[in-house]
Amino acid sequence: MDRQVWYIWSTRALFMALALVILGLQLLPLGLSDTGLPPPDWLLAFTLAWLYRQPVVMSIGMIVVVFLLADFLLQRPPGLWTALVLLITEWLRQRRVTLTEVNFLIEWGSIAGAVLALLLLERFVLWILVAPQTSLGLSLMHGLLTVAVYPIAVAVSHYVFRVRKVALSDAETA
Amino acid sequence: MARDRDEDSYARPVRRLLLTVLLLCLFSLTLIWRIDNPRMERLRAAITDSVVPNMEWAMAPVTGAARMADNFQSYTRLYEQNQELRRELQQMRAFREAAIQLEQENARLRDLARVQLDPELTYVTGVVLADSGSPFRRSLLLNVGARDGILNGWATMDGLGVVGRISGVADSTSRVVLLTDANSRIPVTIQPSGQQALLTGDNSQAPILEFIEDPEDVSPGDRVVTSGDGGVFPPDLLVGQVAVTRDGRIRARLAADYGRLNFLRVLRSHPGSTLLDTGDIIGPPWPLEPEAASESGPDPAPSERVQDLIEDAIGGDTSGEDTLGEGSDDSDAPIPVPAPRPRAEVTQ
Repeated sequence: MDRQVWYIWSTRALFMALALVILGLQLLPLGLSDTGLPPPDWLLAFTLAWLYRQPVVMSIGMIVVVFLLADFLLQRPPGLWTALVLLITEWLRQRRVTLTEVNFLIEWGSIAGAVLALLLLERFVLWILVAPQTSLGLSLMHGLLTVAVYPIAVAVSHYVFRVRKVALSDAETA
Repeated sequence: MARDRDEDSYARPVRRLLLTVLLLCLFSLTLIWRIDNPRMERLRAAITDSVVPNMEWAMAPVTGAARMADNFQSYTRLYEQNQELRRELQQMRAFREAAIQLEQENARLRDLARVQLDPELTYVTGVVLADSGSPFRRSLLLNVGARDGILNGWATMDGLGVVGRISGVADSTSRVVLLTDANSRIPVTIQPSGQQALLTGDNSQAPILEFIEDPEDVSPGDRVVTSGDGGVFPPDLLVGQVAVTRDGRIRARLAADYGRLNFLRVLRSHPGSTLLDTGDIIGPPWPLEPEAASESGPDPAPSERVQDLIEDAIGGDTSGEDTLGEGSDDSDAPIPVPAPRPRAEVTQ
């Protein structure tokens, strides 16, 4: 039991560090002149990948702290993206128990649905608030790329950070 | 196992409640952002101010390494570059000769016309700390802020052309919204035809020139400079050149090297003829000699406030120099401003 607690907290610390690194890399003043494809949202991809693997680790508080910081730093409407991510992760958490034993393709599909829902919900809320928003094509591209890099995030989590799927029996106690 | 289930049975409603409260808080945060935007943006600037400079020790080496790799790629074509540079140097020598002659002539003419150069076009130099981090926003974070006397709305240039406009000042950092940002609108003049246009960013490398009266008068390669309309920017700062895309849209190719923005100059602009009081509409707020203001002005309060504003704008010289040692205050600093023709005509 003690070892389990230690594992959870060390993995949480690892995720916080990973989030800070991703945010730092995004803030680097490098790609100012390239205006091609919008880069994928690595933070979201890693969050969803870890959520599927170790749902206990990804506590609500940590998601709120990380994404709220990202909202403030990345010039997004503060709170909105965090709230939507929280909603989607809770929804995925409930669906997860039934999806644990299925193969990767179905997991990927549900992630794609989740990301698409996130983007559309964000646009919908911004539309209601009459807030300025980016073009639909660009944000769809952003979402597509995020879904496309999801397997990479999963592979990195699996082989580098050793964040593996917990078995169904563990998931029930968790 | 059974105990776990027990815990679960009352942990779940608590969790649901917590989730609902959190969601409500977050959505209301968004609502507040929408309603009271300036205050929220100040909060955002304060958060960025406290987080990003702390990350700098980690970010600086990575940025440096990436830039080095970028530069290293150019070593591969060293020979051609060398040849090219020699040719350019030859041309530049000729230009320099012409420039020196012109400068002397210019100085003589200025002396004849008793032109006063605008003393307020001095600048503070800052280092780029971070970019916006988002693919849909084009902005930069500079390491100079309110403590260096930076004010919202000031123009920012690299060595050559306008880069953007200060929008959001925290204590030690400030944000520059680039001309390429989708929210950027700058009034410009196209030389030599003198047409007015609005430079509108659209998240691409070359902003669009909108509202040109006679597009036929504008040809590719024409110079685009700021017009100074509306007091947004000082006039006659170089922005770039006109380019016409294949679909016939008129865009501006920016003179500033957006690929390698490292040091930026923030121009101290005029505070402008800001109306601080309704009474200022009638009485002239400028000439601002302190004795004249105190003698003739029946109500000295507004003019004092203007004085403070100007002192704010001019003050902070020394702190600006401290940040880099590159900020210069002598008025013959090589700010790439073309000779202020309109002003010269006025004085004549």
